[in-house]
Amino acid sequence: MGTTASQLGKDLLSEYQELTFLTKQEILLAHKRFSELLSKEDRNLTSVPMEKVLSLPELKSNPFRKRICHVFSTSDMKDGSLTFEDFLDLLSAFSDSATLEIKSHYAFRIFDFDDDGTLDGGDLEKLVNCLTGETEDTRLTPEEMRQLISNILEESDIDKDGTVNLSEFQHVISRSPDFVSSFKIVL
Amino acid sequence: MEFSELQRQSSTIAHGYHGAQQLVRLRSKSVVSNQNGPQFHWGSPPSEGGEEGDSGPPKDLRERPMTMRLKRAIREVQQMRVPVVTSWQSWKRSKAKSLSRFRADAGGVMSYVALWRKALHKIGGHFGGGVQSYFMFLRFLVVLNFLSFLLIAGFILIPSIVFRSTSTSNMTVDDTGPEVCNVYDPNLQGLVVFYQYFLDLLSGTGFMEYSYMFYGYYNNTVAESSGFHYNLPLAYLLTSVFYFAFCLICIITRMGSALRVAVATGSGAAGSYSKMVFTGWDYGCQGDRATKLKQKSIHYQLQVDLEEERLQKKALSLTLGQTVGLCSLRIFLMLVSLALIGGAFFGIFKATVFSQAQVGAEGILGLFWVYLPSIVITTGNFVVPLMCDQIALFERYSPSTTIIMALFRSVFLRMISLGVLLFTLWSQITCFKDSPKCELCQYNNKEYPCWETRVGQEMYKLALFDFLITIAMLILVEFPRRLFVDHYSCALTRWVGRQEFLVPPNVLGLVYGQTVVWTGALFCPLLPLINTLKFFILFYCKKVTLFSNCRPAVKTFRSTTSTIFFLVVLLFGWGLALVAMIYSLAQIHPSMSCGPFRSLTMMWSIVPNTFYTLSLTTQDFIFYMGSQAFSIPLFIFSCVVLCYVAALAAVYGKSVDLLKAQFKLEGRDKQFLVKQIEELSREMGVPTRDQLDTFDTGAAN
Repeated sequence: MGTTASQLGKDLLSEYQELTFLTKQEILLAHKRFSELLSKEDRNLTSVPMEKVLSLPELKSNPFRKRICHVFSTSDMKDGSLTFEDFLDLLSAFSDSATLEIKSHYAFRIFDFDDDGTLDGGDLEKLVNCLTGETEDTRLTPEEMRQLISNILEESDIDKDGTVNLSEFQHVISRSPDFVSSFKIVL
Repeated sequence: MEFSELQRQSSTIAHGYHGAQQLVRLRSKSVVSNQNGPQFHWGSPPSEGGEEGDSGPPKDLRERPMTMRLKRAIREVQQMRVPVVTSWQSWKRSKAKSLSRFRADAGGVMSYVALWRKALHKIGGHFGGGVQSYFMFLRFLVVLNFLSFLLIAGFILIPSIVFRSTSTSNMTVDDTGPEVCNVYDPNLQGLVVFYQYFLDLLSGTGFMEYSYMFYGYYNNTVAESSGFHYNLPLAYLLTSVFYFAFCLICIITRMGSALRVAVATGSGAAGSYSKMVFTGWDYGCQGDRATKLKQKSIHYQLQVDLEEERLQKKALSLTLGQTVGLCSLRIFLMLVSLALIGGAFFGIFKATVFSQAQVGAEGILGLFWVYLPSIVITTGNFVVPLMCDQIALFERYSPSTTIIMALFRSVFLRMISLGVLLFTLWSQITCFKDSPKCELCQYNNKEYPCWETRVGQEMYKLALFDFLITIAMLILVEFPRRLFVDHYSCALTRWVGRQEFLVPPNVLGLVYGQTVVWTGALFCPLLPLINTLKFFILFYCKKVTLFSNCRPAVKTFRSTTSTIFFLVVLLFGWGLALVAMIYSLAQIHPSMSCGPFRSLTMMWSIVPNTFYTLSLTTQDFIFYMGSQAFSIPLFIFSCVVLCYVAALAAVYGKSVDLLKAQFKLEGRDKQFLVKQIEELSREMGVPTRDQLDTFDTGAAN
């Protein structure tokens, strides 16, 4: 239900202000950038395909960009396309004033590569590879990866089921003071 | 019969097990989906948060991780239920709504006004949080110095200018001391050689000495005209004291939020791997270069930590003899580094004594003698940490410990070198060795007719020299280094490499500059203004060198803990300056020939003198406040409040521990129950979960 009009209505603007953590200027700027993404395409489209979203400079080199699009997308085809409201949800979760709970919730979903609700060894390995770089010379050796994953599970898997669930994840996040300031994307 | 009963039992159990399995699977799935999706009770009344005005329900909605469609639907449902409220409550709610909207708009305006917001954002994106925290610290110091300058200008500078120009003042001349103490001739020459102006600008003598810049120019005027009473010496003293208090409040406030977070999250040692992996990425990184660098730094950090863990495991297996050898080596190297630092202090002491003895020398050589203490301090601050770094290579501490040790050594060196300089100055002024020079006026009036101005000049020289050296390093070392490395490629340039922007030494430079300003503000009231300009220019210079000459450090700083560290070191500097100020106010006799305190035996005595001119009732009231009848009940009350707060904190800590234990127990309960079910199913000969799964998938296909 994005707007294709060049201006956002006043009540729509105030509604977005209440439903997200964004300020009025941020919502207007988001609308402008989203319209720019749409402008080269058909005017009647309400959602932007994933490739166009990934062309934004803030997301272009982020190693988690595809996961971010998949998490915030509400399209039925699961292709990662975003409507304007999905885009606002994205910016709201990544904004300055979003709470720790929201950020940790979405971070968990972004890191859950297989969408099964827990972070198991495969998810953790993919996560570490995203963090260090995908090329051969930037990956950790299999030895180091094994040591790292076993250390992570030992530290954060409290109920010892071999996976990290949302509460355990949030427990780790709550002990890190830098998370809120680093989990931030500002247009 | 029994067999059919058993069969029925087993079938019910099987059915029950199947049901239970389904239930477990469903429950785990629903638990999972509940964890992924938020809980919202559609039947809950909207007045849960209604007491806080309208900030309750909307904030609740924002904090739920749902899509916009869902949130909008919930909001509509909430709004449809119009709660029965009185007109007073609805008025309160609308007022709260407009207040929050006003606050949001004001916040938007403030973010436009905030200094260098875009530059800081760009620096953070390209070089990471550690470097950005340095620049934010620099911005904080610029704002602090500017506000201090406004304070000083408002209460000291402007009244001074006004009184001087309108001459409605009465100066009290002190006739109690000997005549010779009142002589102060700041060498107001008529025509001077042209470069003398430049030398005077650098050393604060000549035309700068007898100006608003330094203490000696201010008079002890007490202006009285038609009911307006302004006591300039009292204003001077109280403004200086308030300036220190104001800086302390600013630092503590800034440290408060970061410290609260750090204390709440506890020590950073436990859980460092999961923390690094889950929270390590900085989503503000923009551009391929910054991303690759961040990835490289995370890779390096992980490798280093894994390596440290392996080394620690190896170190635990060291024999006793090896441990003793390592400890004795470390103690020996610690003594060596302390000896180096002590040698630096001795050099500074000698240089200051020598420089003070050479007052009056002319020309460039004279300028050199005048700047000798600053030169020696800067050389010491440069050379000694380098040598300590080389020593640290042999100490074989873990990398993080090495960095902390190096930082503490540098802090120690910088602060105490400044302290040694001040100590030598004061010993010269007040003649510690009880020589006959100080008998006449209680201070060394022959060499220091106006000693406060001299101290002010020393601090001014230190600040200026620090600034010039930084600019010179930029122009003469960093830019050529980059040109050299970029255009010639040989083994040497590859080993030297581009400059790395090291945050700790830069921050120590800032803290040192600020400490100098605090020490000198009493004697050189315009020093905060000079420092504001200095730091302002420094911001742009450092930004230019960062973007053109530097490559980001591979080992990065944590931004929150580093902010706290910077502010703690700044507090050390503040403490040193406070000690210097208290000593000057309370111990040394002010100059009798210049300044606002020339008729007093102690700078602080202006306060009691003014106090006794107040009305009797005010005096009685203030005496009562200081007496035991008031202060003891106040003390007891604050003890009670402290005990209450401490008890509250202990209770919260205990409840956190209880919740953690409960969490662990619940996990174990779940494991126990699943094991029970599997055992039971095995006993009953019912297919296990895996077999059921394959059966399910087989059936689905």
